Amino acid sequence: MAEFSWDVRSPLDRALAVGRYGARGDAGVTLTEIRNFDLVQVMARRGKAAEMAKAAKARFGSAAPKTPQAVQGSDATLIWSGPDQFFVLSKGGKHAIGALGQAFAQSASLSDQSHARVLISVSGVKARAMLAKLSSIDLHSGVFAVGAAAATSMDHTSVTLWRGNDLADGLAVFNVLVFATFAESLWHTMLDSAAEYGLAIAHSEQLA
Amino acid sequence: MAGGQTNRLNNGGLIDRSAPLNFRFDGKSFSGFEGDTLASALVANGVKLVGRSFKYHRPRGILTAGSEEPNALVELRTGARREPNTKATTAELYEGLEAASQNRWPSLRFDVMSVNQLFSPIFVAGFYYKTFMWPAKFWEAIYEPAIRRAAGLGRAAGVADPDHYDKAWAHCDVLIAGSGPAGLAAALAAGRSGARVILCEEDFAFGGRLLSDGGTIDGLPAAEWLSRALAELAAMPDVRILTRTTLFGVYDGGTYGALERVNDHMPSPPEHQVRQRMWRIVAKRYVVAAGALERPIVFAGNDTPGVMMASAMRTYVGRYAAVPAKRIALFTNNEDGWRTVETALGAGLQIAAVIDARPDVSPSHRSLASRNGFTVLHGSVSGVDGGKDGVRKIAVSLTGGARAEVEADGLAVSGGWNPAVGLTSYHRGRPKWRDDIAAFVPDGAPPGMVAAGAANGDFGLGACLAKGFAAGVAAAHGAGHSGKAGTAPVANDEAFSLTPLWHVAGKGKAFVDYQHDVTASDIELAQREGFESVEHLKRYTTLGMATDQGKTSNVAGLAIMAAVTGKSIPETGTTIYRPPYVPVAIGAFAGHHRDETFHATRLTPSHHWAAEQGAVFVDTGLWKRAQWYPRAGEKDWLESVTREVKAVRSGVGFCDVSTLGKIDVHGLDAGAFLDRVYINTFSNLAVGKARYGLMLREDGIVYDDGTTSRLAEDHYFLTTTTAKAGLVMQHLEFCRQVLFPELDVQLTSVSDQWAQFSIAGPKTRDLLKEIVDPAEDLSNEGFPFMGAREVALRGGIKARLFRISFSGEMAFEISVPARYGEAMARNLMLAGEPFGVTPYGTEALGVMRIEKGHVAGPELNGTTTAADLGLGKMTSTKKDFIGRVMAGREALVAPDRQVVVGVKPTDRARRLRSGAHIIPKGQTPGPGNDQGYVTSVCFSPTSDQWIGLALVERGRERIGEIVHAHDPIRAEDYDVELCNPVFYDPDGGRQRG
Repeated sequence: MAEFSWDVRSPLDRALAVGRYGARGDAGVTLTEIRNFDLVQVMARRGKAAEMAKAAKARFGSAAPKTPQAVQGSDATLIWSGPDQFFVLSKGGKHAIGALGQAFAQSASLSDQSHARVLISVSGVKARAMLAKLSSIDLHSGVFAVGAAAATSMDHTSVTLWRGNDLADGLAVFNVLVFATFAESLWHTMLDSAAEYGLAIAHSEQLA
Repeated sequence: MAGGQTNRLNNGGLIDRSAPLNFRFDGKSFSGFEGDTLASALVANGVKLVGRSFKYHRPRGILTAGSEEPNALVELRTGARREPNTKATTAELYEGLEAASQNRWPSLRFDVMSVNQLFSPIFVAGFYYKTFMWPAKFWEAIYEPAIRRAAGLGRAAGVADPDHYDKAWAHCDVLIAGSGPAGLAAALAAGRSGARVILCEEDFAFGGRLLSDGGTIDGLPAAEWLSRALAELAAMPDVRILTRTTLFGVYDGGTYGALERVNDHMPSPPEHQVRQRMWRIVAKRYVVAAGALERPIVFAGNDTPGVMMASAMRTYVGRYAAVPAKRIALFTNNEDGWRTVETALGAGLQIAAVIDARPDVSPSHRSLASRNGFTVLHGSVSGVDGGKDGVRKIAVSLTGGARAEVEADGLAVSGGWNPAVGLTSYHRGRPKWRDDIAAFVPDGAPPGMVAAGAANGDFGLGACLAKGFAAGVAAAHGAGHSGKAGTAPVANDEAFSLTPLWHVAGKGKAFVDYQHDVTASDIELAQREGFESVEHLKRYTTLGMATDQGKTSNVAGLAIMAAVTGKSIPETGTTIYRPPYVPVAIGAFAGHHRDETFHATRLTPSHHWAAEQGAVFVDTGLWKRAQWYPRAGEKDWLESVTREVKAVRSGVGFCDVSTLGKIDVHGLDAGAFLDRVYINTFSNLAVGKARYGLMLREDGIVYDDGTTSRLAEDHYFLTTTTAKAGLVMQHLEFCRQVLFPELDVQLTSVSDQWAQFSIAGPKTRDLLKEIVDPAEDLSNEGFPFMGAREVALRGGIKARLFRISFSGEMAFEISVPARYGEAMARNLMLAGEPFGVTPYGTEALGVMRIEKGHVAGPELNGTTTAADLGLGKMTSTKKDFIGRVMAGREALVAPDRQVVVGVKPTDRARRLRSGAHIIPKGQTPGPGNDQGYVTSVCFSPTSDQWIGLALVERGRERIGEIVHAHDPIRAEDYDVELCNPVFYDPDGGRQRG
């Protein structure tokens, strides 16, 4: 009987080459793929939005966002994805779909999106210049503040975009959740868009 | 004079004499300096002849110093980067630049086609329309190609552009076009007020006319004020200033188009750099400070090389220290033109004469003339003696009727200034006429936009600064910023007195539109022939339709039309203004979206594994799908596909079907919801079972099909076709949110969450037993046809297993979370190795579905009903559903509808082609007896012949009938037999076994 191994493989496994790309000198843009996360879509049952919010508050210690925002809860980020719905982004299974079922049993429908998306974190002094080539959203610091989120498109591809906490050096971090089957295509577009600024490419298992 | 540059001044100008640049024009070597344009470098080298005109091949020189240039168009660069119709006046000089003149053969100085001038009496407006009418069929084959060879502009490169173009968004409170005094004052005011500002300057240097005409601002020389203003703007973090950037278009909702020529001033873009960048700028307020364009006066010989706009002459002398002529005559109808005299004298040039069309000249100008020994003639230039080597003599009609001659090698012309009204008029705005400056000025503008300075008809430096500043303050305020703007910069206003003069009568061709060779007499002819409306005038004469969009010609053309019709210029009116303000390369609009990156692509979870296996991929929508897996020695696709089909039918194969749309349908009312969107019932589907479903559009036509499984009481897993995945999701969301908000239903696309594989063939169960946990019962009883449930796999993961079949074989579909997709493909190969497992592509998939008579995209084609597809029995009569009522319309239930039927050729060796029309046997094909067409065909390895599906009138009643297939596209005619569409295993025993 054959031995079967079940290696998980990121959709960017082939396309992502760790290291430098594009113009030499200091990298203006850093692209980091965050791998192997748990992502669950939580959608309120009809008329149960308040109960869902209460359940979220109890589970994560923070209210689920009611507007396009990303909210940091305990061990999870709650990202607005539409009216009365949000994503739970976490690591290590604590808030994976199996673990959340009980908490939202009376109030929401859950759908596992852990494998449906690729998470790319964009930072660097030229992050905004590069994202301006992909997104029509105004990412000026005063307009798209830390925690701002958007369900939008990049390169004609649906994405969820939100601004994470700034890095220690004060630079902004933009997180892009893209559908997995589009990820390699968008990745190449990102490389082309950032090439003139110089790129540092990495992948990580840690949520920013 | 600098080395080799015979017409370069030793001092002055904004060129860097320490940075010489070599370039070639028409193969001849020249040198210029950093800071030159190609035009200014040609001027500095004494080059006067730069091109041949469009129609008459007349010798032409440089007319302007900006993007309005109609004459000095060149092919810039060589090879794949060759760009035709590049304006020498805006092309920045760089080391090694190569340019060639256009529209001449064999050379610019000796041009064979200039014989066209001899025939010019017949090349009048409408010549082509009148001449090449007969015979009509000659137009495309003979006349047009010949005309295109003779006329026309530069040649396209003919090969793919090697450079990368870019598109980007930008956002601001206040957008400003133009960095002349008005634009800079606006930027200072808005920036100080706290607004986010974007300032776009078309030139590579900021300053607009300040660079050429200087002046005194706040008591400082213009250059000094300019550098202070730029330093202040540069220190503001929210002010972005862009050079080499033209605002070319105005779009809805405060969106503007701008083109940044990032690396046009380099021989080729540095590595990883883009050539040009298309900006889409979203601005709350927009200040148009795009300035004004000096306009020519139409007189005989006004296109002679050496005749130049007065302001351009000042630019070449003042900004570039390049001397277009040594002995200059000025023809003006306004005070501003006289500034050319001061500039020329300051550079040590001779003034031959000033021809002033106004009744009077100011005492100060008279004394300037007498101090410097030149004459002032009251009258107009009526002719120019000269040719390809430039101007020699100028004929003047003096006021009162006498004639005079002036010897000069250059003629500066000023007919006044036209504010750049394009940007304010792109939303169908019509500019209004102002008599005092005899020009059109903006009459309102789209919301959020305002014109300031010369663009609004305020030509004085002081007025430009004051109005620009005020516009900047107001724009910032309108965008919610009212910080301290300080005070406006102050300068005096120059005098501007003008007597309108458009056209001087005289012998010889007097050009209105230089680029399209439209003369004053063409306009008069158009009027005589009834093309009096400005829109007709434009199209009949092609006035203003060249790449310069008539920037130097339109108003003069209107004025001449007004004169011959006896109307005023405002009564005559303007044509509609349309973007782009300057030509924009299509490549810039395309940006990243060309060739392989024309659109985004989607890859299946097993894509890279399939690529390793040597799969051939096909584009289906955005997807790349494995079409077949060729093996060594197979001579064509048909051989590979046939092998794959036989392997499945006799053993086992698998295919990645992850491209199907997948939707989680949750909620207490999920079943009721599906009952309303499908024609059949899903609320009574047992948990753990799958059912084929068909949904209709509102109009009763079939929309999509797919298998939907019930995973829990309140959870269905719905699948769609690959093509309609996104549309069905939209449709269901619409149903959920708009039509049935009372239902408790939640929808989530899980298309990308699951890697799904179809495993088919009589040995499917054998394969599955290898990979599925032995505790799972896969027997026909334990996992019956249309069963659906989660199973454990060996090695520790869970999968969903669905016993459904598209191939007609014993089959399952198995799905695992997508990041296991590649491992799944490898493990299926491993598990199936003892059984000769064969991966198969979309072609084999298609062959097997045709053999099985399953309908797909070619049959679900937006014209067919459920009954047409043979699925009418699925329609529930016990419930309502979308499309039910409309599906009952008379025509949709008519007995003579075209319905799905099988076809096979009577000659077994014949190949079928889809698209062939079905005609009753023995009849001559025509629309009257067209009874349908072949929708899908394949070579069936099982039947060992070509088979197909067709939509045929009353097809099901005609099984066994021989009909005629008529294929006019491929010129084929043959007989086919109508047959049962299920060619393979009609009783379905194999898939249930």
